[in-house]
Amino acid sequence: MKGHAKDDPSTRLARGSDTLASGLAVAFLALLAGFISLPLISLVVWTVDKGAWRAMASPVAVDALLLSVKTTAMTMAILLLAGTPAAYVLARVDFRGSRVINTLIDIPVVLPPSAAGIALLLSFGRLGLVGQYLNVFGITLSFTTAAVVIAEIFVAAPFYVRQAATGFGAVDRAVEEAAMVDGAGHWRRFFRVTVPLALPALVAGALTAWARALGEFGATIIFAGSFRGVTQTIPLAILAEFQRDLDAAVALSVLVLGFAFAVILAVRYLTARSTGDRA
Amino acid sequence: MSAEGEGISGHRRVRLYLFAAMLVSGVTLAGIVGCGGVSGREAGDGGRPQGGTLTVLAASSLIDAFGVLANRFEEQNPGVKVRQSFESSSTLLAQIQQGAPADVFASAAEEEMNTAVEDGLVKGEPEVFVKNREIVMVPKNNPANIRRFEDVAKPDVKLVLAGKDVPAADYALQILGEAKGEYGAGFEKEVLSNVVSRESDVRASVNRVVVGDADATFGYASDYTPDIRDKVKVVQIPPDFNIVATYPIAALKDAKSPGLAKKWVEMVTSEEGQRVLQKWNFESAA
Repeated sequence: MKGHAKDDPSTRLARGSDTLASGLAVAFLALLAGFISLPLISLVVWTVDKGAWRAMASPVAVDALLLSVKTTAMTMAILLLAGTPAAYVLARVDFRGSRVINTLIDIPVVLPPSAAGIALLLSFGRLGLVGQYLNVFGITLSFTTAAVVIAEIFVAAPFYVRQAATGFGAVDRAVEEAAMVDGAGHWRRFFRVTVPLALPALVAGALTAWARALGEFGATIIFAGSFRGVTQTIPLAILAEFQRDLDAAVALSVLVLGFAFAVILAVRYLTARSTGDRA
Repeated sequence: MSAEGEGISGHRRVRLYLFAAMLVSGVTLAGIVGCGGVSGREAGDGGRPQGGTLTVLAASSLIDAFGVLANRFEEQNPGVKVRQSFESSSTLLAQIQQGAPADVFASAAEEEMNTAVEDGLVKGEPEVFVKNREIVMVPKNNPANIRRFEDVAKPDVKLVLAGKDVPAADYALQILGEAKGEYGAGFEKEVLSNVVSRESDVRASVNRVVVGDADATFGYASDYTPDIRDKVKVVQIPPDFNIVATYPIAALKDAKSPGLAKKWVEMVTSEEGQRVLQKWNFESAA
């Protein structure tokens, strides 16, 4: 029986089902591509059709874009400064409770942002667990740009820390140790050896986190509120405009779409380059 | 991230992934088809007197009163399900303009309803069913010490308003415009400079006061609901320049359940409906 496997009808059947399976997979891929591009095309078509371009230069749109750029930049600065060492510890040090910390860090990813907003409000709001003490010192976070940054850090941090930790974990310890033998200090070794080797992962993680911070909506509107130029980032401005002027909401959506597209292209480019370097 | 184990029965793994992907797609598709099927059935039932689903889009200030009315409606019409969505009237109008499936629209202002009528979205004449008075609400501990209406103009009051074009906020602005005569030309500007957030609807702005982050907000008398009375205090707006909102209701032209829509409007305007609405601080329209 086994000698004649090639002519076995069941093998032929299996080969047939393979073709069918790959055909189906291609069809699903096409379906997915169409499903994702259709809404994007609709946005652009509407913008062109109704001349909604002009709304992109409206004060609301400009303020929202500037605020989004400002808050996401602050978020990223804090994330890179604090998240990078945190990710390194997470990747390299096996301490007691590291698994708990690992799980904890992923929670904001699965938590709906609106729930995160409520949680932040109850922590840092004026009567919140921490906020009531801040309030004693005259610090109120609600309705400030700082609240927007806090919300963005909360939802975006896991994306950076997770990818950075994976990147650090993939760096060969032998290379690091060789640098130590060559007389490099801890700092020098970290910045000259470890970071460059993990750079593709750090950059990719940073860009994902940035995109996530840029899209942050639920936590911001609940925790920070919505006010032009102070807490109204692009996603919040889209909702506010949707309530009064659909064209303006569409224009803002196209604006943020262009931005997201640029981020994805950058990630693609960097990933392609880093894999090219390794080969 | 890692590409380990590529050689290990790669083909088999690919097939496993493929299978998983197809399973997920299949389940998703089934889910989508299932959801579509439900709405299709609703459409079919609409014509019959028994059963069916009534979809009501109502201004967010109506959430409590309409919740009670929905229960009664379902009791009185066995088999009928009432689905309600509460947003600011301007959001609801935008949704209706975009073709959201709905049977009844209850607006917190004439303006949104008029637009709906002009756009040919409404069936028949809208009916004003209640009135609602604007009030100022402050947290119980009143951190900004707002005792009278004019105190909202004091410096450093954290004032929250509903968003632009949300009726409750529009009325607040009208009131401030009117109050200039009483408190001087700078009054309106001083109050507006105290605004720290524009919320998506009036209930969201009231909740800012409930959690104690805002010092004051403008809302409707009906927003001072029993469940927030231990956290919030009311500061009355002088009747000389207060504005009384009128709420129109109408069945929609594209209603899937036109019979139920008519019944709902009748119930809301009936004596029984008015009694429920009065319980939530609405004033009868009659």
